[in-house]
Amino acid sequence: MSENTHSAPAPRPDYKSYGEIVWGQFKKYPMSRYSLWAIGLMFLVATYAPIIAMNVPFIISVPQGVGPAGAQGMQFPWFGVLFDSNFYESGVDIFFNVLMFGFPLLLLGLFGLTKFGNFEDKVALRRARMRYLAGSSLVLLIVCIFVFLSNFSIPYVDYEQLAGLDGVFSIFPPIPYAYREPDIQAAQQGMSWLHFLGTDRAGRDVFTRLLFGTRISLTIGVVAVAIYVSIGVVLGSIAGYFGGKVDAFILRMIEVMLCFPTFFLILTVRGFIDDPSIFHIMLIIGLTGWTTVARLVRGEFLRLKNQEFVQAALAMGLSQSRIIFRHILPNALGPVLVSATFGVAGAILIEASLSFLGLGPPTAPSWGQILTTGRETGQWPLIIAPGIAIFITVSLLNLVGEGVRDATDPKMRK
Amino acid sequence: MTTYIVKRILLMIPTLFLIILVVFGLLQIAPGKPTPSQASASGAENTQSMEGRESHRIFKEQFGLDKPIFLNFRYGLDADDIREDIEVLADYARPICPEDATQVAHCMPADQRPTSATVIAAQDRIEDLSFYITPALYQIAQTAERDDVRATAIIHLTVNGQYKLRNEFSANQSAEDEAYNKSVYQKNRDIRSWTVAPDASAAEIDAILAEKWTPWMQDETNTARFDYTFNEKFWITVTDTRFAKYMGNILRLDFGISSADKQPILPTVWEKVKVSAILGFFSIFFAYLISVPLGVWSAYRQGTKADEAVTIGLFLLYSLPSFFTAVLVLKWLTVGQPFEWFPTGGFMSSGAEHMTTLERATNIAYHMVLPVFCLTYGALASLSRYARAGLLDVIRADYIRTARAKGLSESMVVIKHAVRNGMIPILTLLGTLLPAIIGGSVVLEFVFNLPGLGLYMLDSIFVRDYNAIMAITLVSAVLTLIGILLSDLSYAIVDPRISFD
Repeated sequence: MSENTHSAPAPRPDYKSYGEIVWGQFKKYPMSRYSLWAIGLMFLVATYAPIIAMNVPFIISVPQGVGPAGAQGMQFPWFGVLFDSNFYESGVDIFFNVLMFGFPLLLLGLFGLTKFGNFEDKVALRRARMRYLAGSSLVLLIVCIFVFLSNFSIPYVDYEQLAGLDGVFSIFPPIPYAYREPDIQAAQQGMSWLHFLGTDRAGRDVFTRLLFGTRISLTIGVVAVAIYVSIGVVLGSIAGYFGGKVDAFILRMIEVMLCFPTFFLILTVRGFIDDPSIFHIMLIIGLTGWTTVARLVRGEFLRLKNQEFVQAALAMGLSQSRIIFRHILPNALGPVLVSATFGVAGAILIEASLSFLGLGPPTAPSWGQILTTGRETGQWPLIIAPGIAIFITVSLLNLVGEGVRDATDPKMRK
Repeated sequence: MTTYIVKRILLMIPTLFLIILVVFGLLQIAPGKPTPSQASASGAENTQSMEGRESHRIFKEQFGLDKPIFLNFRYGLDADDIREDIEVLADYARPICPEDATQVAHCMPADQRPTSATVIAAQDRIEDLSFYITPALYQIAQTAERDDVRATAIIHLTVNGQYKLRNEFSANQSAEDEAYNKSVYQKNRDIRSWTVAPDASAAEIDAILAEKWTPWMQDETNTARFDYTFNEKFWITVTDTRFAKYMGNILRLDFGISSADKQPILPTVWEKVKVSAILGFFSIFFAYLISVPLGVWSAYRQGTKADEAVTIGLFLLYSLPSFFTAVLVLKWLTVGQPFEWFPTGGFMSSGAEHMTTLERATNIAYHMVLPVFCLTYGALASLSRYARAGLLDVIRADYIRTARAKGLSESMVVIKHAVRNGMIPILTLLGTLLPAIIGGSVVLEFVFNLPGLGLYMLDSIFVRDYNAIMAITLVSAVLTLIGILLSDLSYAIVDPRISFD
């Protein structure tokens, strides 16, 4: 482009982005809004679960001459254990533990950006905010991967025994149990003040497992849906934009995939994996669920690709990838957003069903796994508590989904 | 109408083919195949034990694992393609040089000896190529420079050159087949005896070639056997493959043998499908039976308290996981629990085979109440919401106002005019409901211990019975395909706007 168009930039019109329009509409549905807050609260509880329940003290101070050699003095073992690969073997836990410190920093940065940043107009602020969020999420992810791969671990100390000694001062989290800590002597207890929801067959505290199960459920829901939305969006846009033989091929693929009952397909693929981790389950759900999204995106592309703004973009000589990803795709995302919100609820249900059937990750504190233990041992708290947890989570997500559906529907605009 | 049905069924054929292709592909990547290292469990030692090799080769032949996956071009192989493998095998057969520098003829320095993995791979390749490489092996035996390579080629000729038996692994051979096989056994025994020792001298090798192999190779039947016409080549390329064999088996409804109980899979699957079909049919039946009136009723009272209550109730039902409900009713309402109203599980009571048909039906129905209830309510919730939306779409249409203006009674207007048009969309939902019902039944069959398809699937996963898993997947896909066809047909019948041609 020539220079004179850029020499004196005209002030940008203050437009509302698609996201802001949808958000503005969404705020008009109180039930959905409260549900979204409740889901946010669940995320916070999941993130800060180690503050509520952990068998390692925040602070422990051992006087001279007490306990084993080398344990004397003031220590803060809780912080070290958070990134211990023996204590938290699963990547999900490491991620949430990093997020525990990253999240306040991120909010602080966002606050500072809005308050003290110097921007010409709203659009520039919005753009800077997007850039900041994308960059800091990337940094967070890299830190998580780094912590996970560094396999950091500290020597094991029995802090509960140490804290019981004379003259030792310690502050434990309110629930002094870890979700993986078995205690055979306390197996299959009922509800009590020590164990709010009793203990399972291995003597693990069920409330703690339920709490950490929130991490598993929410992560599986979000990551599995992220995987299938990515696959579906790419395949759907290719099929819709290019049409012809590519379209026919992808449609055939979708048609064949639709003939397999999804849960059977998931079970089939699960049968090929000997010792699944949480990530396997996410991947399985992600790889089998993309057909709906692909069909939606394809339909939207077929509708949009002959409209004037695409013709204009073509006439301006923009590249195909720019037209697809910057011009058509943002306009095609409404139905995808709706499908994804309901999809998170669906993925949580699928994971719970798999764990319930004994096909989930064997060591993870999944809600379905707690429920199936309760079915076998006949302990009521182990049936009711995870069942209600799943029910509430799924209901909240479905309520949010209804709100998003109405908010993205131009006919329903208030 | 007939044209439409025929066209619709013909369109199913390519889809079915692709489904079989997907299932076959999954079966190929399924773990648990006898890999060479597993078949000869203790590694390299076993590769030289003839019995071990032979049983592994027969196993591969029986299950078609020696064949290429999709296309077979093995008729075009010549000596250069397999020379390397034969040399590896010949190297492996040579004695290892002793460490104390004593001279042994033709010895192989220990560090140059091929690794056992290469040897096993080479041996498998040579075995898998079967009779296609007979001319190539013969050529190597004649022309190779090293004597031990020539000897190895002859040793493999005695295996690869053998004639194939007819219907070898089938349970019902005809008398004709048996007679043919008997003569083949005779010839193969001869071929097997035309062997030499691995360290045979050039003179010995020349002698056996001149005496036995050269006349055999130049025999008219054999020259015809290895000289392929274009038709034969095409036929081999397409049909002598794993996929063609699998496809043939599927078309003959042969799903193979279960690795758990060593029985053919199809009868078992058929037995299980019956249980699942009863469960699924009644769930769908009750879901439609209840949801349509409920949806219509709540749409007709749109905006009232009753409508809101029904909507919220259905929404909550929709979010209630069926396995949770199933465990709750199991722990409350079954024998041995607070309310002993229903049996704890199973398809029928243990003595049910001796009952009259009516008694047995009652018994089965009694066992089915809880599972059908748990499977129905989820489908019911989503169907009712669609039914409500469907009626709301038409209730304000002009033709409804016209019907009212004509003075028709309100029930007539709603039932005859509104419902018939408003409910057409929920018929199409049958196509998407069916996979959900089939999938959802897995959990309920697990909880209520119903011997259906889902429970069979679970058991097969736990014992890693991949043949059964893939057969169940295939059957469930075909059932879904039929369900989609039925829903399309019913749509075409109910909606007169759809033309059949």
